[in-house]
This record gives sequence, structure tokens and C-alpha cells, in this order.
Amino acid sequence: MYIYLYDNFLRQKKYESQMKAIENRLTDFGIAGKILRLQRFANPEVIIEDEIKRGATAVIIVGNDATFGHILSRAARCDVIFGFLPIGQQNDIANVLGIPVGEDACDVLSKRRKVFLDVGWFNNRYFVSQLHIPFSPITIEYDEKFRVSSQSGLMELVVCNLQPFIWRGNKGDEFVVHPQDGKLEAFIRPMKKVGLFRKQYEDPSVFPFEEMVVKSTTPFEVEADGKQSKETKITIRLAKSRINMIVGKDRKF
Amino acid sequence: MFQRPSPNIALSQQDNSHVSPDEVETVVGPSVHVEGDFSSEGNILVKGMVSGNVQTSRLLTVESGAKITANVKAGNAVISGEIKGNVRVSDRLELTETARISGDISCVILAVEPGALIVGKVSMEGMTPEKKRTTKSRRRLTKLVDDTDDDTNMEDEFSEEDSIDA
Repeated sequence: MYIYLYDNFLRQKKYESQMKAIENRLTDFGIAGKILRLQRFANPEVIIEDEIKRGATAVIIVGNDATFGHILSRAARCDVIFGFLPIGQQNDIANVLGIPVGEDACDVLSKRRKVFLDVGWFNNRYFVSQLHIPFSPITIEYDEKFRVSSQSGLMELVVCNLQPFIWRGNKGDEFVVHPQDGKLEAFIRPMKKVGLFRKQYEDPSVFPFEEMVVKSTTPFEVEADGKQSKETKITIRLAKSRINMIVGKDRKF
Repeated sequence: MFQRPSPNIALSQQDNSHVSPDEVETVVGPSVHVEGDFSSEGNILVKGMVSGNVQTSRLLTVESGAKITANVKAGNAVISGEIKGNVRVSDRLELTETARISGDISCVILAVEPGALIVGKVSMEGMTPEKKRTTKSRRRLTKLVDDTDDDTNMEDEFSEEDSIDA
């Protein structure tokens, strides 16, 4: 049995016709199922666990990157097949997974091409898309082997799993941090100096890793899958093959 | 502050290094200081400072201005920066004009541009087995000669004995 988790923004009138077309297509393929609408404070893990007990075999996330990150960061430990129906703007993860945005995603779902995805884990919580630490006086220790620090002291850190990320250089050039083959990669950019109108940055460093510890004497901000918190020490790990996901043929890994 | 990205663009569009950005897996940026043993299964590009052993089975690129203070082990290497320690490359080592190496070098193929500085012993692995072979082969030859002499003597002895018995 398929369960469809709709994001709250899909209630808007502009998505009405698209949603109807998708629902018709799913019925044609014989994979239509129960529709649940996510509320702002609903815990997706509890909802999915309940549905698994009632016989759900596949949970399809319907929405954008934010919906995907919000649901999977909490429900990654659920033993069920996940799928994704990307709708609307801000759908970069869908491109990585090889799923077209809109109605065509139903074709990918019907083919059920499954792949186990790696996810990141930090301080008792999963993150699927990315983790971001803005400029802070942090030191980073990789796999208990080597330590990375900056001469200026301030560093920005991005750990990318599925969602690509962009950095703007000093001369307006762009560094796009794109996802690789499912392994975690840490991108570090130290700050050179703070100018009158803008900050100047060094070229970014890239380190693939399995475990890293980020420390600081003062609390620093951490943003993982859109959720912010303040920490003084975090351990980031790779949780291998955690999510069983339906992907497209044109996936980027 | 940040724009929405498109995943098809490469990591660095304005990278002037010897390696194309897609091939580089680990990058130590300028003003970044790495302490401890640093190993990777992919290519390594060093632009900053590394205090500790560096090890990779693939290409190591040390850019001009970069500094490594420890032993280096790599499959191939292109050095334009400074290394204080022994460099052991299993295939090709390329030293550009800005390269400074204080330590012993061992490699199979060595390319040195004018201006590169080396303080240490250079040993090319292609040469060493030949020397050993020549000395070994000489020893073997002498042994063989001795053995054949013994055999001929033995044969002579047998023939003498046979002739006596007959």
C-alpha cells in the first residue's frame, strides 16, 4: 500500500490542477494510495510508523527540497521504501535523484528502481540534504587522524549529502558544491578579512570523510535540513545505506 | 546571500591548477592548516600548509606557496611548492621551477624544470634492480660454471669407475 505525504503548501490553488493530473496518473498506474497532509508541527516519524503498522509498504513524499529534508531527517530510521514526487520551485534534490518535476515523476515511481542512500548523522539526528555552519571560530578533526584549522580563525563549513550548495567568491565567481556519489564531503572556507562593504574569502577546501568532530570554545550556529541550533561540539558521521529510495534512471550517482 | 545552485556546474570554474576540478577529491585550500597524518584514496591538491605525513595512491599536486612538513607518499606527483621530508612516488614525479624539496626522493620517472631545488638523495627505482641482477647473475654464472666443472669431473670419475668395473 502506498502512502502519499503532501506538504502544506500544496493546498494553494495554483497547484490544484497539477495535483489532480498527478493523482489521475497514479490511478492509471495502479499505485494510488492514502493521502496525508503534513501540518507544521506534525512529527513525520510517528505518522509513518503508524502507517507501517497499518500495512504501508511505500511512503511517497510530495513537495519540494524542504519537504524532503523535513520528513527524512526524522523518518530515516523507518523501515519502509521512500519515494519522491517533486512539485513546484526549489527542487534540486529531485534532479540529483533523477526524478523529473511534476507529472512525469509518476513514471519513475511506477518503475520502482530502488537504491540505498547514505545519510548524515549529527548529535542524535539525521540530515539528508546538507549541514551548514556559518563563519565561526571552529576547529575540525577528521576521522581522529588530522585536524584542520584556519590562520584567520573564522571558517564556514558545509557538509553536502544530496542537496547542492553554492558559494560566492571574492570576484563574483561562484563555487558550486555539488553532491557526489553518496559519500559525505565537507567544504570549508576560511575568511580572509572583513572589508568595509563585504567580507573577503579564501578558496574553499574539500575533504571527503566518514566522521568529523567540530569544536569551538564559543557556541556556534548549526543548520541541518533547515533546522537551526547552537552547539559547542558536534560529531558528524556517515550513516551508510540508511534510506531505501525509489530513484530515476538519470540519477547523478 | 547564497543563490540557488544548479548541480551541473563544476566545483571550481576558475581553477588554474594542473588537474581538472572534477578529478580532485581532496583540496587543502590556502590559509588552511592541516595537522596530523593525512591520507586519501583520491587525488589531493595542496594549496595550504600540511604538518604530517601525506599519502595517496593517486595524484598529489602541491601548488606554489604550499608547504608540507613531513614524508610524502603518492602514485604520481606534481610539486610546485615546498616539501620538508622524504618524497616517495611509485610512478611519475614532476618538479616545476618553484619546487623546493629538502629530503630524499624516490620515483620511477622524474621530470625536473630548471629552477627546482633539491637537497637530498635521488634514487630511481628503475636502476636499482639492474645492478642487483648483474651482481646476482655474475654470482649465478660463477656458480653454474663451478657446478658444470664439478659435473664434468663427476662424469669423468664415473666413466673411470665404469671403465674399471668393466
